[in-house]
Amino acid sequence: MVHALLSDWVPENLDDPELRPVLGRDWHRYQAMRHHHVRERFAASRLLLKHVAAQAIQAPPATVELAYKPGGRPYLRGCDQIDISLSHTEELLLVGITRRGWIGVDAELEDRSMLVSGIERQVCTPYERTMLSQVRESDRNQEMVRLWTLKEAYSKAIGQGMRFRFNEFGFGPSGHPVQVLRPDGSPGTGEEWAFGTCRVEGRYTASWALYDAGFGDTDDTRAGTMLDEGLVTALLHQPAEAPQPAAEATAATDVPLTGAGVAA
Amino acid sequence: MITLLNRELGLFLRPEDAGAPLEALPGWDSLLLFRLVAVLEEEAGRPLPVAEVVTAGSLAEIHALAVGL
Ligand SMILES: CC(C)(COP(=O)(O)OP(=O)(O)OC[C@H]1O[C@@H](n2cnc3c(N)ncnc32)[C@H](O)[C@@H]1OP(=O)(O)O)[C@@H](O)C(=O)NCCC(=O)NCCS
Repeated sequence: MVHALLSDWVPENLDDPELRPVLGRDWHRYQAMRHHHVRERFAASRLLLKHVAAQAIQAPPATVELAYKPGGRPYLRGCDQIDISLSHTEELLLVGITRRGWIGVDAELEDRSMLVSGIERQVCTPYERTMLSQVRESDRNQEMVRLWTLKEAYSKAIGQGMRFRFNEFGFGPSGHPVQVLRPDGSPGTGEEWAFGTCRVEGRYTASWALYDAGFGDTDDTRAGTMLDEGLVTALLHQPAEAPQPAAEATAATDVPLTGAGVAA
Repeated sequence: MITLLNRELGLFLRPEDAGAPLEALPGWDSLLLFRLVAVLEEEAGRPLPVAEVVTAGSLAEIHALAVGL
């Protein structure tokens, strides 16, 4: 999991024509965004994601092509042994990347108000609601933020987004091994899934969900060995270099891609 | 609905934002979508088709679902 601050990755000029090749298929989405902050976040998240993916496959960022599955799940085109996930909230950008299987990541401000009317019913299982009612009131909102980010991370890892109803799967109390639970609290996933939550930048709660598809820990993730053969040829003919972000981010790109290496 | 959202969720949306893609709205995210569902359900006095709401592309589409169009 790699995190960075938005301000470190926002391009100086949001209308720079150089952004067009960098954004690739995202260009039209970007064009439909009218608000300055929305555009900043979109462009910055793409720059970070491509930079991180490029490091993982040891290829130039400009050659990394982002595409989407029908439900909105992002993936690296032509590089199907690597899975990625993205989250952005407030000033934080978060990227999950793995060569083990599927990954989902999510971040939220740790003090974001979550216990507002009607939300618990939409978001929590009966088991989680009982569990939350037993948490000290002063800690309850933070516990809800943890559950929320785990739910988002899991639903991104399985590619469902919010289509998979958040009150139909859940998680247990903090301080225990994390696994998906059914609405009544019985186990819903097995050993192949791993989850974690940590604090980043001193004020965000970030969670990850990782499905180990048994691909093993592929040592060689260089583009030449991970990419489709046809794509390698196409990429070798792409001259454009991605514009660099305003400053290098505090991204923990040296975290080994084992999936378990959570940037805390 | 824009007025209701600005009042209940503390947003600063304009009437012309109703037809915009949700992802293009400033500050929009999935938690706000759940809060919107809760607010609309309270207002309408009946449950909304959540599965359809989460795949709606704009506030106008969500409004249509809320009023049962
Ligand atoms: C995935 C989802 C739960 C995350 O929403 P969020 O908390 O608002 O935003 P986050 O920053 O944590 O995550 C957004 C990222 O999740 C990723 N994502 C979107 N749909 C996804 C899916 N089905 N599976 C995995 N990842 C997905 C995208 O990369 C997105 O970033 P982008 O918009 O810059 O491309 C939500 O956007 C969703 O369900 N989307 C599908 C339905 C939809 O589009 N609804 C209207 C928008 S709220």
